[in-house]
Amino acid sequence: MEPVVQFDNVTKSYGKHVAVENLNLSIEAGKFVTLLGPSGCGKSTSLRMLGGFETPNSGRILLGGKDVTRVPPNKRNVNIVFQDYALFPHMSVAKNIAFGLELKGHDNQFIHRRVSELLELVQLQDYAKRLPSELSGGQRQRVALMRALAPDPEVLLLDEPLSALDAKLRQQMQIELKSIQEKTGKTFMFVTHDQEEALTMSDTIVVMNKGRIEQMGDPNTLYGRPGSVFVANFIGETNLLRSTVVGTEGDQAALSWNGVTIKAAQGGLAPKAGDHLYVVLRPEAIHCSAAEPESGNRIKGKIRQRVFKGNHTSLSVEVGDGTMLNALVHPADVSQLNGEDIWVGWKPETTTVIPDRHAHN
Amino acid sequence: MRNMFADAPRTSLTAIYWAFLLYLLLPLTLMMAMSFKDANFVAFPIGEWTLDWYAKVMQDKQFLEACLYSVMIAAASTLAATTLGTWIAMLIVAEGIKGQVIIFALACLPAVVPGMISAISLRIFISTIDMPTGTAAIILGHTVHAVPFVVVMALTRLRSMPGNLVDAARDLGADSIVAFFRVTLPYLGPALVGGMIFCVLLSIDDFVRTFFLGGYRPTLPMLIFAKVQGGMSPEINAMATLVLVVTAAVGLYAEYMTRRARTR
Amino acid sequence: MVSSNTTAGYAAGRSDASVPRYSTGIAKVVNSALYRHTLGAAVESRIGRIILLAGVPLIWLVMLHVGPIYQMLKISLMSHYPVLPGVESRFTLDNYAIFFRESLYFTPLIKSFIFATAATAVTLVVVYPVAYYVAKVVKPEGRSKALLLLLVPFWAGELIRTFSVIMLLANRGAVNVLLREIGLIDRPIPMLYTSFSLGFGLVYLICLYMLLPLYSAIEKIPGQYLDAAADLGAGPFTRFRRIILPLSKDGIVSGCSLVFLTCIGVFATPMLLGGPNTVLFPETISGFFHGASDKWPVGAAFALIMLVTALITAGIFMRLVGGKKRSAF
Repeated sequence: MEPVVQFDNVTKSYGKHVAVENLNLSIEAGKFVTLLGPSGCGKSTSLRMLGGFETPNSGRILLGGKDVTRVPPNKRNVNIVFQDYALFPHMSVAKNIAFGLELKGHDNQFIHRRVSELLELVQLQDYAKRLPSELSGGQRQRVALMRALAPDPEVLLLDEPLSALDAKLRQQMQIELKSIQEKTGKTFMFVTHDQEEALTMSDTIVVMNKGRIEQMGDPNTLYGRPGSVFVANFIGETNLLRSTVVGTEGDQAALSWNGVTIKAAQGGLAPKAGDHLYVVLRPEAIHCSAAEPESGNRIKGKIRQRVFKGNHTSLSVEVGDGTMLNALVHPADVSQLNGEDIWVGWKPETTTVIPDRHAHN
Repeated sequence: MRNMFADAPRTSLTAIYWAFLLYLLLPLTLMMAMSFKDANFVAFPIGEWTLDWYAKVMQDKQFLEACLYSVMIAAASTLAATTLGTWIAMLIVAEGIKGQVIIFALACLPAVVPGMISAISLRIFISTIDMPTGTAAIILGHTVHAVPFVVVMALTRLRSMPGNLVDAARDLGADSIVAFFRVTLPYLGPALVGGMIFCVLLSIDDFVRTFFLGGYRPTLPMLIFAKVQGGMSPEINAMATLVLVVTAAVGLYAEYMTRRARTR
Repeated sequence: MVSSNTTAGYAAGRSDASVPRYSTGIAKVVNSALYRHTLGAAVESRIGRIILLAGVPLIWLVMLHVGPIYQMLKISLMSHYPVLPGVESRFTLDNYAIFFRESLYFTPLIKSFIFATAATAVTLVVVYPVAYYVAKVVKPEGRSKALLLLLVPFWAGELIRTFSVIMLLANRGAVNVLLREIGLIDRPIPMLYTSFSLGFGLVYLICLYMLLPLYSAIEKIPGQYLDAAADLGAGPFTRFRRIILPLSKDGIVSGCSLVFLTCIGVFATPMLLGGPNTVLFPETISGFFHGASDKWPVGAAFALIMLVTALITAGIFMRLVGGKKRSAF
């Protein structure tokens, strides 16, 4: 299937600052794709280039197979949901949604039908005549979404649209966004710096850093098999154990970490003895116990801090030469960990390894 | 801890405020009162009161013509100044244009140059382009005078406008012109109405520019000036009172409009 | 795609009267051949957009904001004007030299400066407490009303306000009549057509220009600063001198500059309120522009002398008080 959006070696710089460097990205139609990264990573610039508000210095952008690199925003079949919605304050909800349809030259009857249909999709039929200033944040969000969907764009671009909402509403909107995307079957390209948002909604996550793509994949892969230290740190909480390869056993590698031998899934890296690797150990994969576990990796440690978080407790455990490991423990298990001295254990198959790039360079 | 001494500055400030207000209002009140004097000379005390002067003014062809002429000039110069001022403000806020500081300084120039000098320079200017004094010259002069105020008002409003409103319009298929008329202009709307009323008042009040640029047809201030120099009469007071009442009403309305613009 | 079947009933269930009117005309205009080949084509290109945006404003600014001053400068350096066939006009500085040769011209400028400076100082002293009262003493909800009351008289216009001062100060005006009624004087004090009436009229005319900048500067000073100062033991006078005055400097600078520049160029007021001893510079300049235009070069030179000295004075004042160079706004 032909990709609906294609970035072909796109570079954009402002003076000496390179915002996006040699970006190559293909997006399949009908997918919810998220560009994820810290601020300044180039995700918003990429979105604005696709929207037509920035022109790349080099490279091409294809939309539905056609080169749109230099086509102005008003001539492209993509629409943006802006960060602060950018609803026209002097127009009613209905007029806002109708704006793009009016410019496409549709007749009054058609526009009315389409506007009603969209308002119904987000249950805002009764708000058609209100001004944006008379709506709540969540309602404005929905109107902005419907306004962008109204002209039937090939791709819908969403520029951190949930960042202005409070935590509870944001979670609700995440679910709603995903369901609207599924109902309409549109390609959504979502930009955010919030990894939780990305994990919740996306079919595909594109992690960006310093103008480049770090890793691209579905949420499960990115969380379970991060390809770089950056991704491992950026998505979810992680303990990174810098280790040296001792040998391999089947699909597992044996590594030496601070004098302790641990095992980890190879993750398709095919490491050789002597290589330096990071073992990615998620806090929830750790099992803490007073007695030494019978199997799997295990290290002796001391509890340095306990933070009660309701449905779990977060422990900081000092192991070996002062390295802190972060572990999540169920309330039921915490009661058994009375003393300072405990055992930290985990199953090798719950971890993965990533190469230490600095060691190669 | 409040005692009489702590409140002394407060009390005296209140007194100063009311005294100042009295100072502002007294001459105008006296002027209005004098328009009802039943005698053909201006002097206190007023004694007998009458409305005759108003009847006389309302039948004064010269006065009515001057009113019409002033309103016509005000309308034309306001329209021109609003268009140009908004256009200049759009240029100043535009992205990717250099020298915005210089453009802003140029736009404000007529507001810094004393009215008298502005009037003389325009008088010289129209003669170098072979334009006669008269209606067109007055309109030009009043427009130059009003443009800086429109620019400043439009700029203030434009700067408070979320930058991505225009982006949103463009994204939805509007070119720059459509985006301006459908989004930017309605957003400016209330501020511009306030600005336009201000321009009308500037034009109707203007004396010095009209003095140098005008022809033989008198505007309202020119007529009142000529009458005052010709000798005092309560008739002039009646005229001035009528003008005052109308312009103050318009001014209050402008104040109301700009206030509404700010709260919206 | 959203299925339109689900909502067809919804739409049809309503009467046509409830269908709102959308601006379908815009698409018709934008898609018309005329628009597409003219404006539409122009905004397609960057150059076209820049010409559309900057063309008219730049022409206007250069022609009518700079043009007149430039023409005035040009004429002030000409030995003859209007240029007649056969007579050659040379470059000359004579028109400027005349000013320094004749005290007849020199004195009015000095007088203008004295009047303007004095009027500015008096206005500042008179208006400051009023602005402070409205900005800080009046409760926020009453503030705009208190301000509006002060603004009402200013909609009367320059000429009518000047005229109204005559009612107050004339020999049979309110003040003299009142003083005689209570027996303080036997014969009227001549106040009109003197320096006093002119000064009084000037201050009356321009206090708004002082009020608004002062008000907005004082209003911006956070009330906590004053509370903090009072808490630290500062009395009312110290609070004013150490906190309010320095923080309202911006307002003082722009208010004074505005008032000064307006006073220098005031034209109708001296003609109505001034006497033979109060001929100010604008009136002198205006003399050169009555009748034939052969005296225009001198008039233009004088106008420029006034403009430059006034702007320099205002500039020095801004620099001295404001510390930084600022525009009059």
